[in-house]
Amino acid sequence: MYRMFAYVRRDLIRWSRAPMNVLSTLAMPCAWLLFMGLVMPVRWESGNYLDYVTPSILVMTVMTAGLSGGSSLMFDKMLGYLNKFLAVPAPRESILAGKIFFITVRGLIQATIILVISIIIGASILPPEAYLEMYLILFMFGVFFSAFGTTVALYLGNHDSYAAFQAFVSMPLYFASTALVSYDMMPQWLWYIAKVNPLSYAIDAVRLAASGTFPLTEIAILLVLSTAMTAVCARKFRKATLG
Amino acid sequence: MKIAAYGLTKQYGSNRAVNGIDLSVENEVYGLLGPNGSGKTTTVSMLTTLLRPTSGSAEICGYDIQTQQSSVRECMSYVPQDMAVDVRLTGRENVDLFARLYGIRNRNERRRRVDEALEIMNLSDRADDMTKGYSGGMRRRLELAQALVHQPQVLFLDEPTVGLDVAARRSIWEYIVNLRNHGVTIFVTTHQMDEAERYCDRVGILKKGDLVNEGVPSDLTSSMKAVITIRTDIHPPISALPEGIEMVRDENGEIMVAADDGSEALPRMLKLLSELSVKVYSSTVREPTLEDVYLQSVGKTNPDNDTFNQKQFENMMRRR
Repeated sequence: MYRMFAYVRRDLIRWSRAPMNVLSTLAMPCAWLLFMGLVMPVRWESGNYLDYVTPSILVMTVMTAGLSGGSSLMFDKMLGYLNKFLAVPAPRESILAGKIFFITVRGLIQATIILVISIIIGASILPPEAYLEMYLILFMFGVFFSAFGTTVALYLGNHDSYAAFQAFVSMPLYFASTALVSYDMMPQWLWYIAKVNPLSYAIDAVRLAASGTFPLTEIAILLVLSTAMTAVCARKFRKATLG
Repeated sequence: MKIAAYGLTKQYGSNRAVNGIDLSVENEVYGLLGPNGSGKTTTVSMLTTLLRPTSGSAEICGYDIQTQQSSVRECMSYVPQDMAVDVRLTGRENVDLFARLYGIRNRNERRRRVDEALEIMNLSDRADDMTKGYSGGMRRRLELAQALVHQPQVLFLDEPTVGLDVAARRSIWEYIVNLRNHGVTIFVTTHQMDEAERYCDRVGILKKGDLVNEGVPSDLTSSMKAVITIRTDIHPPISALPEGIEMVRDENGEIMVAADDGSEALPRMLKLLSELSVKVYSSTVREPTLEDVYLQSVGKTNPDNDTFNQKQFENMMRRR
């Protein structure tokens, strides 16, 4: 654990010294939040559309962070850092665990900024236990997407291909979920896609937590997904690092 | 023995990248030489547990590279060829990271070791600057500081001076020799023959995965002959040479001969040419270098492309 946190510390310091990176990854979620929350003339039955859409923006923020962080390990490999890390006594799994943990924590930090902005522009303030549940959900979702992004990046092996992959999947994943509309408002074909989309489970879980209901089923599904994806990522990492 | 390899082999499909090499290295600077693709980096990767051997075994500080990997990594450090320092961290932070990765948990102890490693590498003044502003030589020294922070017994360096200017290369080698003097066993791969000859205690020469030559550089070069080149006027062929001197070529006013001791053979050649009334314009003696040993060990270009008497030259340069 100590060595895993050494890797996390390294990545956090590097990230904090690149403010443009921090701002650029926040730009899209902020734009979505402000547009959907303030500009779109949506009449929402339960009143505040901002309260409905903020969970999806939070999940989008963590998803974006997870996808963009997927290339981090690939860059470590390309730039020669990984070779040095593999020769130290720290267990090799700590490299991957540290990377997934960092990408997830980074996503949570960014989600917190978005959450604060949403409250400033009119979203409701929730009880503390609701926020704790939301962060638990976002953490598991973050682990899932960090592991997913890292697996794909290790498989593709170069940044151009991975950037194209990122652009290809992020918006379709977002739109084909319960991010902007509920299941009962979807056309049938979209309903089927949304039902198997991990984003839908994360978004639904965050909404339930915000409404005071503990989302047991959604948390269980996210736990299984994040565990399975981490196992797949670990396998890919082992293959990529053991000659 | 700090580094011991027994029949170490790495095979990729039908290609044998490293073919059953044996190594025995202790308390010295050992240089592994060889052309590109000869298996140097593959050998180092196996010894540093980055690559599993196909067959054979090796021990670092007495620990098996396959069954005791963690112990091997505790006692050694590896600096790969590609320079990799975090440019968004300071020099101190870069070294501190590796101190943490090597398990130095106590804050005061870690700070002391980091300061010590930076001091040894003469980076204390710039330790708190971002490494983005470091020169190539400084970055390489920083990597050495990272490698030394946990006081390893063995240090593996893959092409440590590649891309550095002459002064920086000399500086790095001086640090390497200094480490050897303090009891660190150092295993280096390099293309720089002059550096290997000057700084390595022993060298091994790899050719297509085989260790074809090994020894102290001065012993390897002393077994080869010196080459004397004398520029003269055009003259009839010389029928007989003094004892111990072999003709390599004599054409177009340039005589090239080989002898065990160049400085002793030159006056005898000049005396002969004087007796034959051959006018001498200039003469040079070239003592054999490690590069000659290396070239002889790994082979040269296609002889059909040379007007030079390649076969004769190779016969002359063969080991006695």
